[in-house]
Amino acid sequence: MRWVRILVATLCAFAPARYAMAQTLDDLAYETVEPSRIKLGESAILRVTSFGRIKDVTLPIIPGLVFEPLGRSQGFDFVNGATLPATFFSIRITPQFAGVFTIPGLTPSSRPVGLEVVKGDEPNPYTWHSQQPTPAPVPTGTLPKGVQLQAGGAAFVHLAIPARPIYVGESVPVEIDVGLRAGIVTAVNGLPTLKGSDFTFNNLSKQPERRQESIDGGTFILLTWHSALAAVKPGEFELSAEAPLTVKMSTLSAADRAIASRLAYPLLQSMYSGVAPKDMTIESSPLQLKVLPLPMEGQPENFSGAVGNFRVSSEVSPASVAAGEPLTLRLHISGAGNFDRVDSTMFDHLDHWKTYPAKSSFTPSDAVGNEGEKVFEQPLIAAQPGEQSIPGLEFAYFNPNTRQYEHAQTPAIKVTVAPALASGLSLSGAPATGSALGLRPDHRVPQNSASELRPLYFRPSFLIIPTTLALLLAGSWFAVRPNAARANSKGARKVLAQLDAAARAGDSSAFFTAARNALLQRFAAQWRMPADQITVADLRARLGATGEDLERLFAIADETRYSDHQSGGADFQRWISLIRGQLSSERK
Amino acid sequence: MRTAKIPMVIAVLALWAGQVLAQPTQPTQPSPSPSPPTYSADGLYNLANAYARAGKPGLAVLSYERAALLAPADPDINANLAYVRASAHVPMKPLSRFARLVGTTSPAAAAWLGILGIALVGIGLVASRAAPRFLWIPRGGVLLGIALIALAASNAMLLWPHMHEAVILVDQAPARVSPAPMADTAFALREAESVTMTAEHEDFILIRTGGGLTGWVSRASLGAVVPSD
Repeated sequence: MRWVRILVATLCAFAPARYAMAQTLDDLAYETVEPSRIKLGESAILRVTSFGRIKDVTLPIIPGLVFEPLGRSQGFDFVNGATLPATFFSIRITPQFAGVFTIPGLTPSSRPVGLEVVKGDEPNPYTWHSQQPTPAPVPTGTLPKGVQLQAGGAAFVHLAIPARPIYVGESVPVEIDVGLRAGIVTAVNGLPTLKGSDFTFNNLSKQPERRQESIDGGTFILLTWHSALAAVKPGEFELSAEAPLTVKMSTLSAADRAIASRLAYPLLQSMYSGVAPKDMTIESSPLQLKVLPLPMEGQPENFSGAVGNFRVSSEVSPASVAAGEPLTLRLHISGAGNFDRVDSTMFDHLDHWKTYPAKSSFTPSDAVGNEGEKVFEQPLIAAQPGEQSIPGLEFAYFNPNTRQYEHAQTPAIKVTVAPALASGLSLSGAPATGSALGLRPDHRVPQNSASELRPLYFRPSFLIIPTTLALLLAGSWFAVRPNAARANSKGARKVLAQLDAAARAGDSSAFFTAARNALLQRFAAQWRMPADQITVADLRARLGATGEDLERLFAIADETRYSDHQSGGADFQRWISLIRGQLSSERK
Repeated sequence: MRTAKIPMVIAVLALWAGQVLAQPTQPTQPSPSPSPPTYSADGLYNLANAYARAGKPGLAVLSYERAALLAPADPDINANLAYVRASAHVPMKPLSRFARLVGTTSPAAAAWLGILGIALVGIGLVASRAAPRFLWIPRGGVLLGIALIALAASNAMLLWPHMHEAVILVDQAPARVSPAPMADTAFALREAESVTMTAEHEDFILIRTGGGLTGWVSRASLGAVVPSD
């Protein structure tokens, strides 16, 4: 407040100069009327500009015109490039009938001005017709019913929903209108939002519709967003919308505003305006929406929750294929409703066709996806060649307009399926016998089964068997001792046969040589010593009296070997008996 | 004669003990857990045919491979396996004459023939040691036993790669450079292609293709021919 007082004091210092200038401009004044041509029922503003010290003006009395003073203000006006202080008087003129009126000068130096009042849309003969199209006038509108201006009259939010009750799951369009007073609301700080926990909302339209309307004497910019909502449960619910804005608001107190009004100069008034932007959220009045449950009576078994008004059609491509080749069945569902509940269960009844998971795509025809077309693409493979028929598809939905369940059905489609290609590379759709595609037929009902696929010899439990068996057999091999008597008997018989043959032939050399070798081998194995190291002393020591006979036999053997000594037949038999006894005796 | 009976008695006891050990133990009380799966060559073959008709060559080849483990000489199994592989454009490695010859014996029969071979060899050796008379009999038994053991060993060697074999169940299954879902794809595998499993890490299995390529494949994208317990 202190600097305001300093400013007022400074202005007062210029008072003498201002007084001198006013003396020269006392008689200077003019007046204008805007517009100079009005319709009956409208008003014009008469503006008197005086450069003197006029305190007030006297209103004229003209039949057919009503003058109403609006106020007095002070400011500056430009005259021949010079800025001069002036006093402005504003007077509203309201005509009572049509005609051309002349308003005299309200100051001694001002000239009279004219005002033309017409009844309707009569053309103005004096208007200069420009080639440019005239801007469309701002249409006049009114606030929607039940809507009140908020933020000091700067803005409003209006939510438009169906007045009728809706059904659970039904998708209904909603509109959110946000009115913004031009120049007051400086920014919209985000998309408006819907408030209601028992509803699901589609995304708002990306760009709002924009228009201007004159409401309550002021120009409003109206922004309209579209969306769609669906109720999740029956009942009565409240619904509202809110929008974040930035609004110019006065921050001055009442005392400050009084001081500002006393400032003579508009420039200073604007500097002292105290207007600042302020973020706020405005909310619409809550609306009541009644949600009805879907009737249980007459509900089809294949009803998937689709609520709306739909139309269906189908097509297939190509219409002729080879067995095992795929074709595509397209189901078009168009209309308005909750397309998110339209699913592909209608393809579940294609029993004679092999199906793969269907793909779907949705193309909205409005901004919020409440209307549009959903297309399902179902790949099919024919099981058998010949003339095949794709059965008609049935789609069940609830129509909120008729308030009953309805069925939309497509007609059956004929398809020509040629036999499988010669290469038989397609596996699908082979008949049970498999002959058409090269598969050999099934076997009969299996009888034998195994508990494990792993072969026996890779199972640890089975490997115990050969391991145990091998260990037992190895132990047996070591445990079983070879029979020495049996092992020697064959060799002994062989030697004795040789000795008998030599004795019959009278060959003493062969007889004693064989006998000597056989006995030495026998004693070497029996005494575990090399045969060439057995001496006469060993024979005597180990065999006693028998050793002496054997010593003599070895001596004869040496004699026959080197001197060709011949023995008689009786000697051969005695020697054979001795040798048999030695070869058949047990080991010692 | 007494010593000649010993190895026979030992062999009979060993076979009996092995048979008892090989059989699963019977629980004393009924178990609430589900019964273990049982496999039969015919059942697996019929299942594979059903998969083939349903256009699932991966599962069909897997079932054919499992059926071939139980009945390798079944001509229907081998014919349909070759047909499905050809239909799926999966190359099939031709079998050698030796492999075809050995493959005519089922693994179960080969296993028991191997047991019989071990018994013949052991009994022949013990008998020849105990009784030198008529040595041609134990020697013939040893030779026959060696042949049977060789047959079983060959059969086992032939089937050993199948113990680590798997079949790709989805088409264009990605083989990644590392066992991570976001890892780069090294190459893609064709459905019904047979691969060899060499290692595993969490949900990924390191595989090697017939062409020698290696990569990590999601466990869900393949099926082992011999399922692990």
